[in-house]
This record gives sequence, structure tokens and C-alpha cells, in this order.
Amino acid sequence: MPDQHNINKVLIANRGEIAVRIIRACRDLGIRTVAVYSEADRTALHVRHADEAVHIGAPPPGESYLRKDKIIDAARQTGADAVHPGYGFLAENAGFAQDVMDAGLVWIGPPPDAIATMGDKHAARVTVTKSGVPLVPGTPAGLRDEELIAKASEIGFPVLVKAVAGGGGRGMRKVYKEADFREALATARREAESAFGNGDVYLEKLLVGARHIEFQILADAFGNTIHLGERECSIQRRHQKLVEEAPSPFVDATLREKMGEMAIAAARSVGYINAGTIECLVDRDKNYYFLEMNTRLQVEHPITELVTGVDLVKEQIRIARGRPMSRTSNVMQPHGHAIECRINAEDPYMNFIPSTGRITTLITPTGPGVRVDSGVYPGYEITPYYDSMIAKLVCWGEDRAEAMLRMRRALEEYTLMGLKHNIPFHLNLLNSFSFIAGQIDTNFVEERFDMKTYEESPTESELETAAIAATLFAHRKRQLAAQVVAPPKRDTSNWKWVGRWERLQR
Amino acid sequence: MKYVTIIGEKQYEIEIGKEGEVTINGEPRHVDFLNLGPSLYSLITDNLSFQVVVDGESGRYEVLMNGHLYETQVLDERALLMAQRRGGLAGGSGEINSPMPGLIVGVPIEAGQTVEAGQTVVILESMKMQNELKSPVSGVVESVLCEVGQTVDKNAKLAVVKPAEE
Repeated sequence: MPDQHNINKVLIANRGEIAVRIIRACRDLGIRTVAVYSEADRTALHVRHADEAVHIGAPPPGESYLRKDKIIDAARQTGADAVHPGYGFLAENAGFAQDVMDAGLVWIGPPPDAIATMGDKHAARVTVTKSGVPLVPGTPAGLRDEELIAKASEIGFPVLVKAVAGGGGRGMRKVYKEADFREALATARREAESAFGNGDVYLEKLLVGARHIEFQILADAFGNTIHLGERECSIQRRHQKLVEEAPSPFVDATLREKMGEMAIAAARSVGYINAGTIECLVDRDKNYYFLEMNTRLQVEHPITELVTGVDLVKEQIRIARGRPMSRTSNVMQPHGHAIECRINAEDPYMNFIPSTGRITTLITPTGPGVRVDSGVYPGYEITPYYDSMIAKLVCWGEDRAEAMLRMRRALEEYTLMGLKHNIPFHLNLLNSFSFIAGQIDTNFVEERFDMKTYEESPTESELETAAIAATLFAHRKRQLAAQVVAPPKRDTSNWKWVGRWERLQR
Repeated sequence: MKYVTIIGEKQYEIEIGKEGEVTINGEPRHVDFLNLGPSLYSLITDNLSFQVVVDGESGRYEVLMNGHLYETQVLDERALLMAQRRGGLAGGSGEINSPMPGLIVGVPIEAGQTVEAGQTVVILESMKMQNELKSPVSGVVESVLCEVGQTVDKNAKLAVVKPAEE
């Protein structure tokens, strides 16, 4: 029988929409919550939702959300008995997980050694191969430049140069021909050195036309390890996912069973417990390769929740309490179809440049099949300190077509003003025949998608209406301004006048 | 009041009367434009109903309608006169401004160089990302006002491109 742990108050070592998401699960379970916040986040939504909130430092993450000591102090100070790390920040930091446990707190996540093994790309490859998990052809880490150059031609171009310490799309470089290799290698090493303090790189064959498909894993301390089906995450830009869906239009029951078994084997190979994700590349011939394991809750976890009915955060807490998870069989037939669009403060017309500013208007879509996990509200100011993702719009339908139509409707309903955002990108993506047909791969957005191609041009009558609205707005604004500068109508001071008026009212 | 309102390449002459009656390009329109919140409006015209958000100031307004954002320019008579004196309406500006605070990590152009619209002129690092700022117009780089390693504020002027004569 695994150790049982009481969890009555959870500290959430994160911010934004995911902190709000975790607070909601805790509320559902009757658990009290503690938020931590940086100086820039005093007004953030997660602070408003939590029962208690502790200030932990200055806006840069290194001085607040990455300060293990301050976060553990905050847990002690508030009497929290568990820590949920969310995703990003310290979620995949084995040292933090260990510190939390050493402080006598429950870590709502996998064992520290599983995080450490999977966090080291090379160690992860070595470990999972022993369980028969297929890998993309590549090299081990720690090779010298000359050895890498020799290996590169052996593997065959194109190749991917990856930083050992990289992750989340950072520290990768594509090389298409031998002539460019030497220079690309030097740049990759330099970037890895400055970004992660570790210039070690390794090579991987770059699969052309491959899809990014990942499996959600749940494992408890009783030895149960299951998968909850796959998520298709091929709609990416610069290795950042933009749209995810479950199930994948490319995966049939046979492939799901084979890949699911592989994902479970990979998780078991590190003694995994709690929620995790096995990321894979799948080529056009349905050959699949293990990429990496994310030892945490994923951004895109809601789509799995919608097609399985499992609340993943609640399951995480249940598993951390030392209880058996509520479901012990794999999900072979997901119910319906779910799509997630990440709503980012980025301008799709200006090369997806991040945008900051105050949200002046926000109307969030609602109605059948719509879920919004958001970290913002009207009047909230987006600062440049953190990630540009401000919300996730998730739609569910009986089938993929219904999910897409609901997504289109919800995106049109989504009214967000005050900064540039990528809702127009999502609308245009839903216009593209390739996406509608499910013909996508990880290079689709960067190589074959253009905002202009799929933009629906407004009709003449819509243009006229917009022109009238703008003009009436300007006209009223002008009239208002004229009133403000008008000289006061009363000759006495307004204060005197108010005083007299108040006396009259007595 | 008479206005000229510009959306992209289209121009509309719009007149708003004392009682709020609207004429567009000489044709009268019945428009009910009701304010519902700070910048939220309900617009009904010929029984067509729109939820509209309008935001902006000093002549430049953004209109969000049915998921589509319209960037508009509203000129009153005085502004129109001044624009005509300057020689034409809505000439493309060649200023490259910083859209957010950040660090300049690359300036792949120099003064006097010819650039195409869409060519990268400044690389700005912000929000953990390197962002390529592109020239809005084709022309000649008139001045470069930033250098690599410099931190800049939002809206800082980084470079000016003099649009090529057509």
C-alpha cells in the first residue's frame, strides 16, 4: 500500500491561466489554495481566484517564479501541504521537486528522478530504448565537432542540431545541406551556451512531412499506467504549438493501440507516476519515433479532458494523495472531437510579433461545446515579462466537422481589444483546405500557410458599416471633447456650489 | 459634420447631421449606434445587427466586427485640408517603431541602403523571442536610430525609411 498523504491546501507555483485552472480543480475538491505572485502580477487573475496569495519578488521570473526558496517559504508560511507546479517555470526541475519533498510537502507531479532522466535528452533516449521504444536516428551527446560532421553525412541531410539542455522548441536548428553544417553547428553551440549555460549539442535526422503526435499518460503508485489517447499538435510555428486536437485525424485504432503501448513502455522505463506526455514524430508511412517526455501537465491537456471525461488535474491530486487513479484502462475510443486554439498576444500580420498593452474590451465566447481557460480580464495589462499566451479556447463536437464549426463560431464571438492577438490567424487556419482535410505536418504553418491566402475579404456592405461605426465614434468623441473644454457655466467654484447643494439636501 | 473615412484603399465621404442622421457617399442611411460599454456598441442599420468594438484616438480607429479588425482613419474637414496640402491622403509612413520594450540584437541595414517593403530592418528581443521588424515601405534608409545591445522602450523610433517615389 503506497503512503497516503493529506492534501488540504495546495500552493500553485505558477501564474496565468494554468494557475487559475489548478485553483478550479482544488475548489472542486474542497482544497484551499495559495497563489504566489511577482510584483508585475499583483492584478493577475490567479491572485484573485486563490484563497491566499503571497508576494515572492520582482517581475523577472529569475527573481520570483523560479525562486525555489521563496516558493517553499511561502508554502511554510501559509501552511500549505502540497505544491502544484503547473507547466513551465519549475515544473520540470527535479531539484525543486526534491526540495519540496524535503520540506515535508507533497509534490503534485512525478518522482524527481523521473523528471531528471526525461529532462536530460540523452539519458532519456538511452533509457527508453531499453524498453524497445523507437527513436529518430541520431547521435549521442558529447561529440566533438569533427565527429558530428562525420555523423551528419552518415545520417543524411536534412538534420536537426539540438541543444542537450534545450526544450520547448528552443535550442534547435535545421540544416539542409552539408555545406551549411559547420556554421550552423557553431551558431547552435553559441546559442545553447548563452541560453542554457551548456553548449553541448547532438544530431537528429529531420523527418520531412512528419506530424507531432503525443500521448497522455497517467500512472499511479499502485503500478497502474494507462494512456488517454493522443493529441495532434502539428500546427506549430517556431516549434511553439498553436492549435491542438484530439483525436488526431491521422491515427486509426491500430496505430493508437501500437503507439499507446509504446508510450506506456516509455513511461514505465523511468518508473513514472502522475500525469505525463510522450511526444512523438509520426512520418507519412505511420512510422513513429519517440521525441521526448514532458514530465508535467501539458498546456493542451483540456482537449484530452473533453474527449475522455477525465479531469487531469483532479487525477494528479488523487495520485499525489497516494490513491489509485479513478480509471485503470486505456482510452481506445475517444468520445467526439476537441480542438484547442491558443490565444496569444501576437500579431499574425506582423510576423507574430508579441504585443503588450491593456485589454480594453473582452467578451469571451460561451455556449454549447465551448470551454475557455483564460488568465486575463477586461482592464488587465499584458506585460512583457511572461509568455504571450493569454487564454485557450477549446471546442468540442460529436465529430471533427462539428468541432471545427463550433470553433469558427466561438472565434468570431471572441472579442478582444487593446492589443494585437492571433484570433485572425485561427480564423484563417480554419479556412484552409489542408487544415479542414487534416493534411498537416509540423512545417505546415511556416512553409505552406500565409495569412493572405485564406483571408476572407470583407464585403462592400461590411466595409461601409465599419466606416460608419468609426466615423460615429470619432464624431461623438469630438462632441465630448468640445463639452469638456467649455468654460464652467457657474461663476462660483464647484466646491462652494457642492457645499451649498449638500446643505440644501439636509 | 463632414468626414472622409479611409479603410485600406477605400474612401468614404460620411456626413453626420445635427440629429445624428448619417449620409454615406451622398446616400442617407438609418443607423442606430448604441453605446453598451467603454468601447462596445450595438449598430443596427436596415435591420442588420452588428456588435462593434471601436477603439483608438486622434483620427485612427480600430473597428472589430464579426471577428474582423478594420483599421480606419477618420479625417474631419480640417484634417482633410491639411492632408491635401501635405500632398495626398494616407501616404505610407516609413518609420519603424518598437512595438514593445526590448533589446536590439541586430540591425542588418545601414543608412543610405535601399530596402524592399517587408525586408527585416531591426531584430528586437522581447518576451523570450527574437522578433524581426520589417520595413513597411520600399525605399531608402534615411536614418538608423538604434544600435545592437541597446534596450529600447515601447514606441521608440528605431529607423526611418524614405518611401521610394512611384
